[in-house]
Amino acid sequence: MGLNDLLSIALLAVFVALLLARTGAELRWPTTLRTLPAFEELRRAIERAVEAGERVHLSLGTGTLIGGESGSALAGLTALSQIAEVTLDSDRPLVVSSGDGAIAAASQDALRGTYARLDASARFQWTRARMLAPSPFSYVATLPGMLDAERVSVQLLLGHFGREGALAADMGTRQRAFVLAGTDSVPTQAQFFATADAPLIGEEVFAAGAYLGASGMQRASLRVQDLLRVVLIVLIGIGTLLRTLGFGL
Amino acid sequence: MRGGLRIVWAAVAMIFGLIVLQGYFLDLEPLRAARTMVLEWAVVLAAAALLLGVVNLAAVHLSKIGAQEKGWAYSTLLLGALLVTLVIGLWFGEESQLALALFSYVQQPVEASLAALLAVSLTIGGVRLLSRRRDLRSTIFVVTALVVLLGTGPWLVGSNGELHRLLGDARAWLSQVWAAGAARGLLLGVALGATATGLRVLLGADRPYGS
Repeated sequence: MGLNDLLSIALLAVFVALLLARTGAELRWPTTLRTLPAFEELRRAIERAVEAGERVHLSLGTGTLIGGESGSALAGLTALSQIAEVTLDSDRPLVVSSGDGAIAAASQDALRGTYARLDASARFQWTRARMLAPSPFSYVATLPGMLDAERVSVQLLLGHFGREGALAADMGTRQRAFVLAGTDSVPTQAQFFATADAPLIGEEVFAAGAYLGASGMQRASLRVQDLLRVVLIVLIGIGTLLRTLGFGL
Repeated sequence: MRGGLRIVWAAVAMIFGLIVLQGYFLDLEPLRAARTMVLEWAVVLAAAALLLGVVNLAAVHLSKIGAQEKGWAYSTLLLGALLVTLVIGLWFGEESQLALALFSYVQQPVEASLAALLAVSLTIGGVRLLSRRRDLRSTIFVVTALVVLLGTGPWLVGSNGELHRLLGDARAWLSQVWAAGAARGLLLGVALGATATGLRVLLGADRPYGS
């Protein structure tokens, strides 16, 4: 085990310790989340959709559940329960789509679990969470048909997207739907900035669960992320200074 | 009973997550073998899930055809294409000439056309951005995109001129200094966010696998 491995383990251990400590403190000193306009707009758009009997569509992206792309899909799955809850009273409840079989299965399970928790199992349909197509561009090719047929007025893109993400957001806009879009891919975030009504920048996609009203640990993790980010920035600054002064690192 | 099952699923997710996570740090043969085995299981399960996804997709479109919903004709086309592709793949093999022809002459051109549409979508998106969100960030975004576009490709006239050279230098400065720095900052946030999400799943706080 090298020095880098030890440092990584130490960083993870610190992360977990801070997360647990902050979660414990959350009851006494709850985290106040700064206002993110994207989530404020989303809340209003969902309220309008529920009142108008229109559909909310949550896309969990075109990535897979195995590997480095899974983080943003897991964040989307976490947000799924909260969105399903607030859209339950609508005549046209939430529809979820993805470009991967495993994510589709997980989203069906999460949706079924949420409906069961809310004593609304009778309203659950397996086809409300579906895999649209197994490849990124075939996924966006099938998207307009679904948005039109389901009369979607709010589209959330929370998951991994590559270049096809811009097309997915654009198709929502063409449908005159409100589009909130967040992903873990930085180039796609730039595309979302141009094509979505409410783009999520940087790690904001991972904050979706906390902003939509989730558990104390989710709120606590945002605090811990902020703290660790400051630590990393300071370390990068020190490293840059030392390197500039001629000290080898 | 249901509460007990929830604990079992959470425990399974945590145990298997930890087995995979330790493989990144500890270079011990039994642990490496365990990690490889778990990942192989995951790949098999993902393939099975893909099959379930296709069944789910077929069920969605069959119900659309049954109810004669809007766009049912497209659903018929989709199911027909699915069936034909499946039969060709199973009968002739996925690397047969026929299967490869389907890929080369149908799927690839469609995907390439969609990729080409991306340029149009982004251009329209850039124009719409200025009418939708008239703020400093959007203006900087659009101006930067214009400078990068003009500084990257050749022009119809004046490609050897001073203005083109200046824009080329501006493009290099923007992309290598500002964009690269900002992208690293964003990546740092994404990495921390992904780590936090993974840890919440490992600690059982987030249970995206239902109940």
